[in-house]
Amino acid sequence: MTKFFAVTLELLEGFGTTCYIFIATLLLALPLGLIIAFGSMSRFKPLRYVVRTVVWIIRGTPLMLQIVVIFYGPGLLFGVSGFDRVPSVIVAFVINYACYFSEIYRGGIENIPRGQYEAGLVLGMTKVQIFFRITLLQVVKRILAPMSNEIITLVKDTSLARVISVIEIIKVAEGFTRQGLIWPLFYTGVFYLLFVGILTLLFRYAEKKTAYLKV
Amino acid sequence: MEYLRVEGFRKKFHQTEVLKGVEFTLQKGEILVIIGASGSGKTTLLRCLNFLETPDEGKVYLGGALFSDAAVRYSDRELRKKRLKFGLVFQNFNLFPNYDAKRNVSLACELLARERARAKKRELLAAEQGARWKARRRIAAEIRAMKKEGTAESRARADALLAQVGLQEKRDSFPYELSGGQQQRVAIARALALDPEVLCFDEPTSALDPELTGEVLKVIRGLKGRTMIVVTHEMAFAREVADRVIFMADGVIEEEGTSEEVFGAPKSEKLKAFLKRTEEHGWI
Repeated sequence: MTKFFAVTLELLEGFGTTCYIFIATLLLALPLGLIIAFGSMSRFKPLRYVVRTVVWIIRGTPLMLQIVVIFYGPGLLFGVSGFDRVPSVIVAFVINYACYFSEIYRGGIENIPRGQYEAGLVLGMTKVQIFFRITLLQVVKRILAPMSNEIITLVKDTSLARVISVIEIIKVAEGFTRQGLIWPLFYTGVFYLLFVGILTLLFRYAEKKTAYLKV
Repeated sequence: MEYLRVEGFRKKFHQTEVLKGVEFTLQKGEILVIIGASGSGKTTLLRCLNFLETPDEGKVYLGGALFSDAAVRYSDRELRKKRLKFGLVFQNFNLFPNYDAKRNVSLACELLARERARAKKRELLAAEQGARWKARRRIAAEIRAMKKEGTAESRARADALLAQVGLQEKRDSFPYELSGGQQQRVAIARALALDPEVLCFDEPTSALDPELTGEVLKVIRGLKGRTMIVVTHEMAFAREVADRVIFMADGVIEEEGTSEEVFGAPKSEKLKAFLKRTEEHGWI
């Protein structure tokens, strides 16, 4: 029993790191994704192509590789000291997820009927007013389902941080296998399930709240 | 006195010439009805007038003065100001689904009132050289009051307009809770909120079930006295309300005249054929 508490405490510590990576990634990647989305829809062709190429590279290569490159890259390639472990992971996650988010945003924005935009124009609104007053909420409603998917994937992707020895929950549980304990590994599943469960409820609530939009 | 004059409108999409030099004039308070087959350029003409498309060539005169010229590239700011002179009611309503009926009508007015308040603030601050803390507070309070008043006025106006289109009891309903006819009436109230000089309708009843067109046409009829341009397939309605009628075919005005002239004594073969076709389809 005491072992169970000891393990729980240690796992909780690892889970703290997991949550930290998750929250930091979300907070930074959500706005960055929107900026990337605007870049990929830009009418200025060079910008559009550059942004789309970056998105292609990031979405087309393994996240694990990106983490490794960002952590070891600066030191090995340029001989400068890069980020610490956790910040490297966060940088890699933010870039990776911002690209995925950007595609979700783009889909959401491009699917808003053009008539909404035109109705705003005819009423003398500026582009900024149209975006914030009319389009944004409709976009949010449209992207809730794909976003919830992506965000739930992020919860579990945080475990990739262990490839550069960040002590997150799976890494902690793996440590116990050396003491001949396998159950802590399964136990980590409970943490993930609870976390994802809460997120699912939050998203369901948000969907209910925006149901009136009926776009 | 001619109020609106459109001169030499041309518009090409890729290789297709949609408008091939359209010209007409309109008196203040007149209703101009534009008829013609699909693809004849009616909608493009309205969209050009509302600056949703830029014609390749052509000028618009409003109230005797040059209003817009296709050869001039206007800034976004100028375009916005010009757009306010024209109103447009869309075929498929385009109400904002995230606002209730009242907010749909009042939103643009509210935003303009806020902008006016912000402009006033800049002006007051500029006048108050090196404004001190107290003066700034006074100005901030004044502007807040001005914004509040603007919002209240816009909302009161929205209420009045919804009453005018017979929907005051639906003011808290969201678009999805309204029938097509009701949505279009809200859209008309929304277009009226900015009191445009020329109100345009782009096939306002085409997306409606036949039993709902009546209520929308009744509202439009009630606006007689406003300068309006109506593109419609409702021939009976066109004949009844039009002061002038334009028949468009293949990007040009094939025939124009008063309602009696165009419907009673059509001259061109195309118009005769068109009227015959619509009659057979039961639009008259």
